Amino acid sequence: MTERWEVSSRSPGAIATMREVWQYRRLLGFIGDRALRKMYRRTVLGWLWLWINPLFPIALRAMVFGGLLGVGSNGLPYFLFLLAGTVVWDVFATSLMWGTRALEMNRDLTDQIYHPRAILPFGNMTPSLLNLALKVGVFLAATIYYTVQDGRVYLRPDVSILWAIAALGLAFVFALAISLFTSIWGETARDIRFGLGQLLSVWYLLTPILYPLSQVPEDQRRWMLFNPLAIIVETFKWGLFGVGSFYREQFLVTAVAVFILLCAGLTYFARAEARTIAER
Amino acid sequence: MPGRSASLPSDPGILAHRGPGEGRWIIAPDVDQGFVARTREVWQYRRILWFFSSKALESLYSKTHLGVAWIFIRTLVPLGVGSFVFGSIMQVPSAGVPYFVFFLVGQIPWNCFDGPVIRGSQGLETNRNLLTKLYVPRIILPLAQMTAGAIEPVIITLVLIVSLVYYRVNEGVWYVQANPRLFACAASVLLILAFAFSLSLWVSVWQARARDARFVLRYVVSFWLYFTPVIYPLSVVPAGIRWLAYLNPLTAPLETFRWGMLPSLEHSWPWFAYSVAVTAATFAGGVWYFTRSEAATMDKL
Repeated sequence: MTERWEVSSRSPGAIATMREVWQYRRLLGFIGDRALRKMYRRTVLGWLWLWINPLFPIALRAMVFGGLLGVGSNGLPYFLFLLAGTVVWDVFATSLMWGTRALEMNRDLTDQIYHPRAILPFGNMTPSLLNLALKVGVFLAATIYYTVQDGRVYLRPDVSILWAIAALGLAFVFALAISLFTSIWGETARDIRFGLGQLLSVWYLLTPILYPLSQVPEDQRRWMLFNPLAIIVETFKWGLFGVGSFYREQFLVTAVAVFILLCAGLTYFARAEARTIAER
Repeated sequence: MPGRSASLPSDPGILAHRGPGEGRWIIAPDVDQGFVARTREVWQYRRILWFFSSKALESLYSKTHLGVAWIFIRTLVPLGVGSFVFGSIMQVPSAGVPYFVFFLVGQIPWNCFDGPVIRGSQGLETNRNLLTKLYVPRIILPLAQMTAGAIEPVIITLVLIVSLVYYRVNEGVWYVQANPRLFACAASVLLILAFAFSLSLWVSVWQARARDARFVLRYVVSFWLYFTPVIYPLSVVPAGIRWLAYLNPLTAPLETFRWGMLPSLEHSWPWFAYSVAVTAATFAGGVWYFTRSEAATMDKL
């Protein structure tokens, strides 16, 4: 009796890819740890960056846009308004940045051992989760401060906070879905790494973070709603504070679109990974 | 030490070597290390300056699919989006001209700082391979690399000219008129470029020591923008703390540049003089620091 081994190629579908990522889930922690180390390796300031990084820009922007230029904030303290928008945006932007560079950054690992490549974008997003945790801490502190100072409860203590959490999750999944494409493209085209920063800085301005959506002139507001991030950010702020407007249909449509994009991304990734690794 | 002659000063920088039998070779650093000698050296090597400049320009788009188009995309798209967001959504005051014109006029001097200082300070790092093989006056590298950043203000100026013609045709007004004050604009641009160069001398030395100097610089510059009246006029800053804004050496040349183009704005010559003084100090200190740590920096590269 001889044992029989069957060697077959893996199905490149979205579900098969997800299943394989799940089987190798223990690698996630390892890849995440690598990413975190890379984030602060060889820097003089080291972990101090972790604190300066989220706080300084927000404080400065609040000073200029809220203070000097008097931009509206739906009746909230501008700092709190900006902080809430930034929390969602940074989950998206940081995840997208790190996810896109996943293949490139873990090349040495890929050369040495087998692992599902699709696990790399997942694991490489760990720095953005750490950032999120820090910012949520700052956010809670700021909320308590303003509540005590103004004698007014800004946070809504009801179930609509679930919408805010859903919006946060959607921002993360959206970034993941895009980076399944961009990490592959970035392997061969320098344009991706090059253009991503540019794209994000423009996208940031077009998303209602520095200003409330209600301040956008009526005829342009329609166009801004085509930006999925605009809907995600608005939903987040509405869920937390009850300010701005809640676009329930658009939010659900965005969620479905992001899910489809994710499935497409997983399929694309599974088909393209072999080619990319051979070509580079 | 064999070959070390007793008649030479004990300066470790000066080495002497006695050839076998015959004459004596002395390899010594250039005695004349002063500012004039340095400048002369840069002038002697000026052809290399062009070489590094064109290399830096090419590096902006090499190995991309879109090629040269990238330079235009990355300059033009933020202009359009920025003026829409700041002008029509945030309603930033714009001194009586369309916000787009105001925004462009502010972006020209700002981009004379932003791009050049960031690219300039990467000069040594980018050309590390060449530097380890041959000698060039190192100070040329930040200078040459700066030109890659200086392409953006040129493009923005072209956009400004086109949009001025557009407004002339549609609204019948020249928002910027030719007058002698445009010389003040030129002076401001020169001052800003000089400041960017001086700063990049400092940063290139730091960068050879610690990698994160580059990230810190990018970070600082991106927030410097908010401290400088680029997207808003200085008049939105409360009069009481305006001196605080002027402490930023970029504020005065920026305001002077805009005053040269848009007459309704105010500006201040005394603060301009202050910026000149700060730039001169940064420049002198930068040249001194850069030359002094040149040898050590080269080792660390």
